[in-house]
Amino acid sequence: MAERYLEELTKIHDAVKQDLLGGRINLLLGWEKGHYWWQSRPLFAENEQDLERLTWDSFCAVNLSRYLLEELKDYQKIGVLVKGCDSRSFNRLLQDNMVARQRVVLYGLPCPGMLDYELLTATAEAELESIAEQNGIVVLRSAAGEKTVEREQLLLYKCRDCRYPDPVVYDQLLLAPRGEKEAPERYKSVTKLEEMPADERYTYWEKELSRCLRCYACRQACPYCSCRECFVEQDKPRWQGRAYQGSENFLFHLVRAYHGAGRCIDCGECQRACPVNIPLQELNRKLIKDINELYGQFEAGLNADLEPPLLTYKPDDPAAFSEK
Amino acid sequence: MVKKLIAVDKLPAFWSHLAGQGKLFLPVKAGLTVLFKEWTEGDEVTLDAPTSAVSPKDIFFPREETYMRYQCRGQTTELSAGEELGPVTAFGVHPCDLKAIEMLDRVYINQDPPDELYQSRREKTTVVALGCTAPDPFCFCGVMGVDPLSAPGADVMAHLDLQRGNLILEAQTPKGVMLLKGAGSLLAEPNGKTFTPAPVKTADFGMKLEGLSESLKERFDDPVWDKLFRSCLGCGVCTYVCPTCYCFDVEDYGHEMAGERFRCWDSCMYGHFTQMAGGHNPRPSRKERVRQRFLHKLQYYPETYGELACVGCGRCLRSCPVNLDIVQAIKALGGEQDVQR
Repeated sequence: MAERYLEELTKIHDAVKQDLLGGRINLLLGWEKGHYWWQSRPLFAENEQDLERLTWDSFCAVNLSRYLLEELKDYQKIGVLVKGCDSRSFNRLLQDNMVARQRVVLYGLPCPGMLDYELLTATAEAELESIAEQNGIVVLRSAAGEKTVEREQLLLYKCRDCRYPDPVVYDQLLLAPRGEKEAPERYKSVTKLEEMPADERYTYWEKELSRCLRCYACRQACPYCSCRECFVEQDKPRWQGRAYQGSENFLFHLVRAYHGAGRCIDCGECQRACPVNIPLQELNRKLIKDINELYGQFEAGLNADLEPPLLTYKPDDPAAFSEK
Repeated sequence: MVKKLIAVDKLPAFWSHLAGQGKLFLPVKAGLTVLFKEWTEGDEVTLDAPTSAVSPKDIFFPREETYMRYQCRGQTTELSAGEELGPVTAFGVHPCDLKAIEMLDRVYINQDPPDELYQSRREKTTVVALGCTAPDPFCFCGVMGVDPLSAPGADVMAHLDLQRGNLILEAQTPKGVMLLKGAGSLLAEPNGKTFTPAPVKTADFGMKLEGLSESLKERFDDPVWDKLFRSCLGCGVCTYVCPTCYCFDVEDYGHEMAGERFRCWDSCMYGHFTQMAGGHNPRPSRKERVRQRFLHKLQYYPETYGELACVGCGRCLRSCPVNLDIVQAIKALGGEQDVQR
């Protein structure tokens, strides 16, 4: 583990330990190591012993805010470690009235962006033994030797165009803020898709969505998919057929994307969770781009007091679809 | 039995030949992952890769399969069967995945009556297994009793000789002999030199499996289950990428005049899997569902068929978005070697 992370982990550990033992929180949602050094999985810490497993490194990609939906049923007060995107997820849940603010303590962790193991091994071109990180550089160590790569090039897709590495809502900010970032490439692939003729675009999505297993990992990982009952499971009437036909896959992904219009915080958990690498962020980003163009710049999850454009009405709202 | 050889750079011609005989499924590169899919000209076939993202079980147990179609014309209703099945070649199936298919055979074929659709696909398919050359860190077939270099149940056993750039094919059944002979001059005679595949090392994650299944009989209410499920998101990734999961649902599609009855994959991780018509759900939360999935693999299947329903392919380790996998479950349930603390 890089020295910086060790230092940061000590800070995080001290802060949450005090609160957990002092009774400010009854449960801490954090991360612990998985089988390997490049896996960090959710940790549910109730006591000091659990906290010994707490970790913080370049692989803490899992968004923990979503676990509040279930855990708040059993715990009175929960502490959550939140990166920038996780904090905006929390705002999303707050706006949907799915969580109670006063029952959650948010520990903000400004985030350097999380690394993509698949990309690391693909770049190392050999089985990876370890990595070392320093000043925006990652050294990949494998049997083939050492390879030095810019950290930015090894980020998870969801982290590459992140604009808000700093948590936007928190009770305690535990690490030094990193500041807002520019994301000039955020809509690059969407623009490319927009420029395609409709038929070509349809073929593109037909191919991408044909891989969909309908495992619903995208939905389950998503902070805007917080409905108690999803339209997929409703059977009176039955909206979503169970068949694995292209049309059913389209129905699922398009309806889901539209449900997220103006609500998607672009955290990219959907795409990270997808086992067959469907570029789901392109669908969501298309809608974010459209909303921005139609209703003015809006970044979901940034401010829980600002209603998403499609949940409000203004007399001068554009209504191109109803004008002949 | 017949043994043949083909230079790796001649393989595309072999693929075209096989695709001319019927459907050909093989591992194809899709971005950073590998998928088992029906071959089309120009596909980037990758034989020296880890297991495919999704298991090849869908060659025998498709994600969706039609039982019958109906069509009403005036006063009569016409019924017709689903797809007419032709010959299939499944090429490059890893030994772990074939072992898993043999586990499905017990469930679908070794029954009275057998499942006709599955049985028919199995009979019409020639399986070419491929010795593993590139296990990834998720692979743990060794500890599950699978030899990554041999698949006795395959029609043809293939090995990549990366050094000489050859694929060596050895028939193991009459079907395999037919496949090799049918390829005629595309395949060369082995040049006498013997080839010994390089040993393959896979992880064991410090697991200890002896006695695990038996111990689970009394542990339906073990406190382990109260914790293990918590990180589960409730999606179905693990069941859909898993080569030994075989549950399906039966549905109708269409309207009163025309439509079909089909079956499709289902997952015990979904709430509606056990949802009763009256509203009762015997597995109301993720806890019961996670327990069901792991007990099925580790206790129920072994109880009926004598071995764990896991072949160590590593897909659940690779695909679970929150790293809740069967290795974690086994270790949490005590299937761990003694470690010095």
